[in-house]
Amino acid sequence: MTPDKTEAGVAGAVPPGRDSPAAGRAAPPNGAGVADTVVVTGDGAGAGGSGAAVAPQGEPFGEMAAGPQGGGAMRAARRRGTMILQRYSLVALLGVSIGVYGIWGKTSAVFLSAADFRNIASSQAVLVVLTLGLIIPMISGSLDLSIGNAAGLSSVATAAFYAHGHVPLLVGAVLGIAVGAIIGIVNGLLVVLLKVDSFIITLGTASAIFGVVIWYTGGQSIVLGIPQSLLSFGGGKLIGIPDSVYVVAVVALIVWYLLEQTPYGRSLHAVGSNKAAARLVGIRVERVTFVAFVLSGAFAGLAGVLLLASSGAGNPLIGQNFTLTAVAAAFLGAASFQVGRLNVLGSIVAILFLAVNITGLTFAGVADWINQLFTGVALVAAIAFATALHRERRHRARSPGQDSP
Amino acid sequence: MTGAAGQDQSLALSVRSLSKVYSGTLALDALDLDVRAGEIHALLGGNGSGKSTAIKILAGVVTAEPGGHIEAGGQAGPAEHWTPALAHAAGLRFVHQQPAVFPALTIAENLALGGGFPTGLGRRIQWSVLHRRTAELLERYHIAATPTTPLGALAAVDRSRVAIIRALQDRDEADSGVLVLDEPTAALPGPEVDQLLTALRRYAAVGQTILYVSHRLDEALSVADRVTVLRDGRKVATVDAAGLSEGRLIELIVGRPIERLFPAVAQDAHDEAVLTVRGAVGGPLLGASLSARKGEVLGIAGLLGSGRSELLRMIFGAYPMMAGRLTLDGKPYQPASPSEAMAAGVAYVPEERQADALLHGESVRHNLSAGQAGNYFRRLLFRHGQERRDASRSIGEFLVRATSDRQSVQNLSGGNQQKVVLARWLRQRPRLLLLDEPTQGVDIAARSEIYQLIRRATAAGTCVILVASDLEELAHACDRVAVLKGGRIISVVEQPLNAHQLTELVNISEAA
Repeated sequence: MTPDKTEAGVAGAVPPGRDSPAAGRAAPPNGAGVADTVVVTGDGAGAGGSGAAVAPQGEPFGEMAAGPQGGGAMRAARRRGTMILQRYSLVALLGVSIGVYGIWGKTSAVFLSAADFRNIASSQAVLVVLTLGLIIPMISGSLDLSIGNAAGLSSVATAAFYAHGHVPLLVGAVLGIAVGAIIGIVNGLLVVLLKVDSFIITLGTASAIFGVVIWYTGGQSIVLGIPQSLLSFGGGKLIGIPDSVYVVAVVALIVWYLLEQTPYGRSLHAVGSNKAAARLVGIRVERVTFVAFVLSGAFAGLAGVLLLASSGAGNPLIGQNFTLTAVAAAFLGAASFQVGRLNVLGSIVAILFLAVNITGLTFAGVADWINQLFTGVALVAAIAFATALHRERRHRARSPGQDSP
Repeated sequence: MTGAAGQDQSLALSVRSLSKVYSGTLALDALDLDVRAGEIHALLGGNGSGKSTAIKILAGVVTAEPGGHIEAGGQAGPAEHWTPALAHAAGLRFVHQQPAVFPALTIAENLALGGGFPTGLGRRIQWSVLHRRTAELLERYHIAATPTTPLGALAAVDRSRVAIIRALQDRDEADSGVLVLDEPTAALPGPEVDQLLTALRRYAAVGQTILYVSHRLDEALSVADRVTVLRDGRKVATVDAAGLSEGRLIELIVGRPIERLFPAVAQDAHDEAVLTVRGAVGGPLLGASLSARKGEVLGIAGLLGSGRSELLRMIFGAYPMMAGRLTLDGKPYQPASPSEAMAAGVAYVPEERQADALLHGESVRHNLSAGQAGNYFRRLLFRHGQERRDASRSIGEFLVRATSDRQSVQNLSGGNQQKVVLARWLRQRPRLLLLDEPTQGVDIAARSEIYQLIRRATAAGTCVILVASDLEELAHACDRVAVLKGGRIISVVEQPLNAHQLTELVNISEAA
């Protein structure tokens, strides 16, 4: 489901024993000191000699032999160039989009005004928090499709806590996060205990959550009783930057720290790459997966509180619209910065890219349907890109040693 | 060597100067090969020797470099224009290591999926015709089964034989063409290997020419009339199998005498027991007991399915133990999970490297520190620099050939991948290292290095338990070998070990 998982799947399909013999042949010269104790040396001179003789017309050896030859260095430089191009392509596209809407007569007036830019930033806060929560289980090879509805339930429940329970501002927010975390606990337990694909489980819980929300609210928004402090937070600013942007920054920092700076983040990647191998190096796969769902649920809960703050009402219907966009943004984000890996910065750029284009096209007079159309196309394009990239890499990795025993 | 002798017998297949370049590497270098009609010709060589490339060119799925020539079954032409259709017309038939058979379908259906269903009016399948045809084939090839038997109900050897029949069925005469078998016994349990070899001899006796590709030398020697050995893409020799010893054959394949392949066994192995297993029960194990000493390599010899892998997993806490007791360093030891086993200083390299050991898409660095990331997390920060330095040191120390620690692990060759997996554990200086087929799918050079690493670990006091199905390898690499049979350790033999003795012990009947 995630790019990581795709890789594991494809690589896993290669039968054991069909390994390339590149070791001896493509070893860099500094490997020779090691190699003098092994069998290949006897024939290594011959093989190396013939290899060198045909090298100019051959393809690169993969990453291994790029070093010493001049042609190799050039190829390496070109590959590095391609890597940089891939890494920053989405940022470039975002820049181009902003430029186009800024210059285009139909949109330039509204689009470039600072107010609107901040508007885009703050209106995407809910989506950013949802997406950053979502990539946690996605990295471990699971998908949480209930996040949108979890956010919806959280916003309705938080509104109800304020309206009927008259809880203080912060208590309400914490309760909202707790509602999301409880959904995460349920998802996590179901996935871990039933050992069923998380895609199916969370598709089911998403629908069930929506049912509960409609049953509780009767389809009506909870408007009254929301504390003024929360509503002013939704529209408030500190030194010209919307309050919600600070929340997003803190969430991004937390998720980045979790993924890149803690052993838990490493375990997530290991589980997503190869569950069996992760288990056999002592990683508690079930616990890692369970915690991932609790975290994505908790972040969905926080997103629900932000949703309540920005919309001013506990609306039972809007939460679910976020799910697919978050999935699309996560996949798009995996195509930039750390190419092939779900990452925080990439996800944020992806969301901005989607938001800028949808806002720009809306200003240009395109009707609401552009939202779904653009998101859908971007999702498919991102996955196609990731798959193509993976195939190309695999081809490169395999090419030196087609000759399998 | 083949020239004069080849003239007086007709050739079923003749190949001249077959070459193939992959990415600047000569995978096959001007191969000449003559296969006489009616003989079993074994094509042998280590990983990367070029035998698979040769077979793929003969099948027409890989295009040879210009300049070669292939002649078989009345078809002849330049090698670079050889196609699957030409190969088929020339009577070449290929059966691969994992034949594409369908266990859920009947034998008749499996055969028809290769040769076509007989159909009547309106494309209706004529089942009676198909079943009659299948019954004839089964009788001709001595398989005791009815056409409507689901293939999955047959023994593995009979499934292989059905695959062979499927390849041969569309020819009326057995004396034309060549049957090419690529590692036909690799997926077979031990006792069934002999049955397949017997069947092959019978096919050859009625005139079928067979090109037999394998890395199992004893099988090749027992079944083949002549043997061609490849090394590094070149033909080393074609020799008569009669009178050829296994040792001489290994020399041809490796290019040097076998004694030097495996490092000498340390004489001063310490005597204290690191691990004892008493009456382990679970899966195929019915009360296995053994004890392994500090600084030794204890081999476990047993057939596939004897429970050798389960025993290792049990010791690592990855397989349930129904009964029995373990001690580690004299203390009771009951690992409920791999992490508990690791905490006690036990390490485990699983049999399936791709499925159970490698983190695909992750760097060499992350693969090395998989499961040990906690060591680098101090005072709320991840010490990336220290992890990188450790990885670079491990790459050097454990002879991994990688451009850098950031290289993706799937870009490494099988041997280097295995060294990464070994390094992952050896860098933790384990008390006890469990190895399940550590050299499977690894070329012979890397194999030698892997045993070097293992010996280095035992010299530092690590106790190693080694499972390998290659008994030659066990005999050379181990201080002692425990033979697992019928769910129990039936015998422990010490150096001097030899493969023949182990083969006898492993295959010994229950009554003996």
